[in-house]
Amino acid sequence: MRIGRPLTAVALIGFVALMLLPLYSMIVLASAPDDGDLSGLGFHGFALFDNIGQIMTDGRFPRYLMNSVLIASAVSVLDVAISAAAGYALARLRFPGRAALLNLVVIALSLTPAVVMIPVFVMLSEIGWLNSYQGLIAPFAASALGVFLVRQFALGIPVQMLHAARVDGASELRIFLRIAVPLLRPALLTVLLLQFLAQWDNLIWPLIAASEQELWTLPLALSSFEGEHGIVYHLQTAAALISILPPLVLFSFLQRYYVSGLTLGGVKR
Amino acid sequence: MSTVEARAGAGLAAPAIVYFVLFWALPALAALYLSFTSYDLSGTPQWVGLDNYRQMVTSDEFWSSAWVTLLYTVFAVGPTIVIALVVAVPLAKPGRFRAWLRGLIFIPAVMPLVGATVLWQVIYSTGGLADTIAQAAGVGARPWLTDSDYAIWALLVMVIWKYVGLYVIIFVAGLQALPANVFEAAAIDGARTLRTFFLVTVPLLRRTFTFVIVVAVTGAMQSFVPAYLLTKGGPVNATQVLPLYLYNNAFSYSRFGYASAIAIVLLVVLLIFAFTQFTLVRSDEE
Repeated sequence: MRIGRPLTAVALIGFVALMLLPLYSMIVLASAPDDGDLSGLGFHGFALFDNIGQIMTDGRFPRYLMNSVLIASAVSVLDVAISAAAGYALARLRFPGRAALLNLVVIALSLTPAVVMIPVFVMLSEIGWLNSYQGLIAPFAASALGVFLVRQFALGIPVQMLHAARVDGASELRIFLRIAVPLLRPALLTVLLLQFLAQWDNLIWPLIAASEQELWTLPLALSSFEGEHGIVYHLQTAAALISILPPLVLFSFLQRYYVSGLTLGGVKR
Repeated sequence: MSTVEARAGAGLAAPAIVYFVLFWALPALAALYLSFTSYDLSGTPQWVGLDNYRQMVTSDEFWSSAWVTLLYTVFAVGPTIVIALVVAVPLAKPGRFRAWLRGLIFIPAVMPLVGATVLWQVIYSTGGLADTIAQAAGVGARPWLTDSDYAIWALLVMVIWKYVGLYVIIFVAGLQALPANVFEAAAIDGARTLRTFFLVTVPLLRRTFTFVIVVAVTGAMQSFVPAYLLTKGGPVNATQVLPLYLYNNAFSYSRFGYASAIAIVLLVVLLIFAFTQFTLVRSDEE
């Protein structure tokens, strides 16, 4: 067993190196001045900032970047607001429609997006919302996972605390905003982060609902990078690198909220 | 229930109720309806009864797509889970170095899938990293994405790389939640590492396994981006997974009725799978 330990360590480090190799080659490729060497193993000059400058000044890339920021932010803020309200109400208030909401959340959790995609597309095309910001935002304005996560967390808010506030004469809305929301902060940050990352990476919906280039987001721009510039791998990789940075930065600050969202249900508490 | 509380609750829940009715419940019913119609977005849906489903079961392309999806799911989930568990066991122990390694392994899982897939486009291009490694290994360069013998495996390597870190983290969380005294008892009994692993660790992780398998399988069965971006389902439909087949029928051929029927079939398969898994665990725990 003692002999096994250094071996384990070496094997682990080897595995991590293998996992990181594509990332290293991404930086090499994004820094290349041309497409001369695509192996991504060795640097041939360092043109990363030239490449990024070229992408940002040439074509519509800044517009796509802004669209992504705008849509992912709007969606995640809306989702947090709607999920927080609904999740708290489900956990701590009795009201008509409570059972209906619970059923709707369970239904939405068990459905796959592929099922609702076509009818939502048809519906938005009927009301003229294709190729509009609202058409890219509204279908994701809340989430079953968000409501569920907030509800689970809100079940931990002591009922006595809410009662005490009621006795003091606080309105229900005030109790929600001033007592529940601060206590729900970790759950709300998890929802915000998960939804922002999901929308930042959403390819299929903009692909379907935004044919006009003014509304394209980063994933769409990356997926048809070749079309605009010809196949220029080093620029395409630099653009991909730009697209992965915000999620990595967000993640490094909010790591524990991300992991708690992921492992929910996987671990017995 | 007090009227004040009832009014506040209904008010807080109203936006969510409207959202779920408009964007989930009604569309789901509409999808079921559309699956019995012929509809190309112009005009109104024409009722065709079971024609779409009949056409599906007699379509070679559907069965080829179902087969590709099965292959893709099995070979994405199996290796990912095995690798993740083997890596998670030594990484679950405390220590700053291990925490650091866990963070590094997790990076691909945090990357946006589209950006990662674009990177792998270059890796699989002629003279790319895959060719370079294959040449160094004496295998020689290959048309990774344009040869039907390699394309699906090329996709799978990328997908395993992308998600293995996620499952490492989930397994680590599961392992760290296990009671330490069980392992102490096993150690006192003189159980060997491998024995402890199979007889103590794996059974105790049952709940984590179920969660991981359900998440991984349902995720793999709905995977769209890698096949769409890397191969467009080709060559000759060798990588046309069901979600891509659905997308092509709806948005390339405007066969919205038939595409809805595919979506319904996909949903039923996913539900049966998830339901079976959770029932198995529940009966197991009672």
